Amino acid sequence: MSARLVPPGARELPALTELRLEVRAFLAEQVAAGAFVPHVDTWLTRWDRDFTRELGRRGWLGMVIPTEYGGQGRTYLERFVVTEELLVVGAPVAAHWIAERQIGPSLLRYGTEEQKEAFLPGISRGEVVFGIGMSEPDSGSDLASVRTRAERVDGGWRLTGTKVWTSGAHEADAFFALARSAPIDPAHRHDGLSQFIVDLRAPGVTIRPIISMGGDHHFNEVHLDGVLIPDDRVLGEIGDGWSQVTSELAHERSGPERVLSTFQLLAAAAQAMDDGRLPTDPGLGRHVARLAALHHMSFAVSTALENHEDADTAAAVVKVLGTTGEGDIADYVDTLTATGWALDEELDTLLHAAILQRPGFTLRGGTNEILRGVIARGLGMR
Amino acid sequence: MATDPRELAAPTTPDPDLVAVLTELFADYRATRATPTAVVDLDRGLWRRLEGLGLTRLTGSESAGGSGGGWVDAAALLGLAAAAAAPVPLAEHDVLGGWLLEAAGLPNDGGLRTVCRPDPSGVALNVTWARDASSIVALWEDRDEWRVADVAIDRVGIEERRNLAGEPCDTVEFDLDDLEGGTVVAHAIGEQFHLRGALARSAQVVGAMERVVEVVLEHVRAREQFGRPIGRFQAVQHLVSDIACETALARAATDAAVARAAASDWRDPGMLFAVGVAKSCVGHAASVVVRGSHQALGAIGTTLEHELHTLTRPILARRSEYGSLQDWDETLTALASSAGHDRLWTLITTGRATPRRSDA
Ligand SMILES: Cc1cc2nc3c(=O)[nH]c(=O)nc-3n(C[C@H](O)[C@H](O)[C@H](O)COP(=O)(O)OP(=O)(O)OC[C@H]3O[C@@H](n4cnc5c(N)ncnc54)[C@H](O)[C@@H]3O)c2cc1C
Repeated sequence: MSARLVPPGARELPALTELRLEVRAFLAEQVAAGAFVPHVDTWLTRWDRDFTRELGRRGWLGMVIPTEYGGQGRTYLERFVVTEELLVVGAPVAAHWIAERQIGPSLLRYGTEEQKEAFLPGISRGEVVFGIGMSEPDSGSDLASVRTRAERVDGGWRLTGTKVWTSGAHEADAFFALARSAPIDPAHRHDGLSQFIVDLRAPGVTIRPIISMGGDHHFNEVHLDGVLIPDDRVLGEIGDGWSQVTSELAHERSGPERVLSTFQLLAAAAQAMDDGRLPTDPGLGRHVARLAALHHMSFAVSTALENHEDADTAAAVVKVLGTTGEGDIADYVDTLTATGWALDEELDTLLHAAILQRPGFTLRGGTNEILRGVIARGLGMR
Repeated sequence: MATDPRELAAPTTPDPDLVAVLTELFADYRATRATPTAVVDLDRGLWRRLEGLGLTRLTGSESAGGSGGGWVDAAALLGLAAAAAAPVPLAEHDVLGGWLLEAAGLPNDGGLRTVCRPDPSGVALNVTWARDASSIVALWEDRDEWRVADVAIDRVGIEERRNLAGEPCDTVEFDLDDLEGGTVVAHAIGEQFHLRGALARSAQVVGAMERVVEVVLEHVRAREQFGRPIGRFQAVQHLVSDIACETALARAATDAAVARAAASDWRDPGMLFAVGVAKSCVGHAASVVVRGSHQALGAIGTTLEHELHTLTRPILARRSEYGSLQDWDETLTALASSAGHDRLWTLITTGRATPRRSDA
């Protein structure tokens, strides 16, 4: 047998299910109380700092951050079930998503003691909100080509350049910016890159909205005009930026947010079929089956990550299948509806939002074409 | 607060010693077998070898002469045998026929068995390996009761036919007298039969698809066009990546159902959903894997002498057994729509729409 692309599965045990049901019960109460309206793609589009802080109070943020830094010191498996429950119910989780998912773990791994103490407790309480500044107008998939420059000055670095598609920059406190701290060497393109922790309210930072096709404001263009970054806000070592941004990819790509962005729409469609408002169609079963299998696969990857096993290829598999599937759900429900057919408003709202968000699913966090290349490498084809 | 991950998740992998034995055995089988044929007959030599190792009754209880294995090991055996395109009725003889005999308390002389569900007129269609069996285990429902009989081969009429894989897949006609009476088995047994058959087929198809991925990888590394291995072309890489992804998804779904079956000895009320998920993911994966693998192999993959069809034909033959893909998608649709908006997620995580606190 060839090496498995995805680690073998594991069964969820009662101790984990208990946590799952605890989170589920809390969320059901919140929905019943009208604390939020369930929606699709909420990890990108629904900000609610109060809700985020409430999750922090309940110990459901910073779950894998050690207690000495204000986190919960729990496992990736526990974090997995909490995030799944938050996503399926369509809760407003965008305010903490990036910080919780990747900034926290990166700081933990590469940050100085002072940086960990400065940021991790706030992230765990849901008070410090982060964005990601990687993409640029001329650097998308080819991330190593970023042109934002970091110039050495007395006591720190000056950042000059433009970041784009920065989700939530207009709401966030800070972001990690990937910049060139040494001129590009065509033979070693991944050298000379560094990450900086940028205060988004610092002088020289200009944030302009980029409006998405549905008219909403989720992401931004962020201009950095000689923004001064003190030495203590360099993440880890100068020149290590590339290995930093690539080392956490398995965590970023294998999570349930790559599978469940349209779950509320699928659930609404199931209800509409039961009520006779949508025609009964076997496509529903097919999508439910894929989602169930992806739930197992994503859990298997979490188990591997918990055991510190390499799961980069497996994460790419989850992301290709998951993001394709969550987009297909939007398109599928659309094919069942007829113009002029009186659907309920809830389904309509979810459907329209899902269709407008869908193109982003297979782009953000590494496009599916790039990920198929990652999988091909895992299969030994390149 | 710190939790031991071992209290949160239990791995479900087959016995590594068994896997090692099977891997060696089927590698040896592959290396020594004859070139592929369009028509596939039972390999009695291989069957005897498997019998000698206690593998033909892997899941039989030890008191009944079996090896006492569970479904996790049985699924591994079915998958590896299918990957080797081994023409042996392991599913029919052991996890279906042998299990039914044990459940009915009927004696098992170890002779080769296949299984079927005759209709009220005594006819059963598409009975794999019927002509090769020494007797046929029949299961039928009569006035709200499930009954089992073990009918000797010389008492049935057989019309020889073959399935898409070229394997014996006969029409069997029983003497209605032989189906008079039979042994009554619990309802759960009758209802489980279809699920066990569907999951056994899923395990076989996944095993065969995993071998297809290997065959494709070997080919695209070796075959050169335009001065380089075709696997260096991005279009081919993406084609192969899609095959591998679908296979991995089918594997995840099948393993999850097998783990659930093993953990509950099939009593978990979520088995219908779990098996449906496996059957659906496997069936849809089969479309992608068969189409994509033949595309990647080019003309050579369409020939009799090439291994590929010994895998792709059984993949398609078996995905339609124990319920078509459409049937299973409809079953899942019914479960999902009756779960409705508020219980769909519970259905996905537990296999049923009403949760019990103790399991997920
Ligand atoms: C909703 C959303 C939120 C985002 N949020 C953020 C954020 O917060 N921070 C941030 O930094 N970025 C963010 N991004 C940007 C995202 O990371 C980029 O969109 C992504 O990296 C692709 O870059 P691009 O859009 O420039 O497309 P391009 O790289 O120009 O790609 C265009 C097309 O060409 C294909 N392509 C490119 N190169 C290859 C190749 N070598 N082989 C085959 N095909 C190729 C791609 O797959 C794609 O189909 C976000 C994007 C979206 C859609």
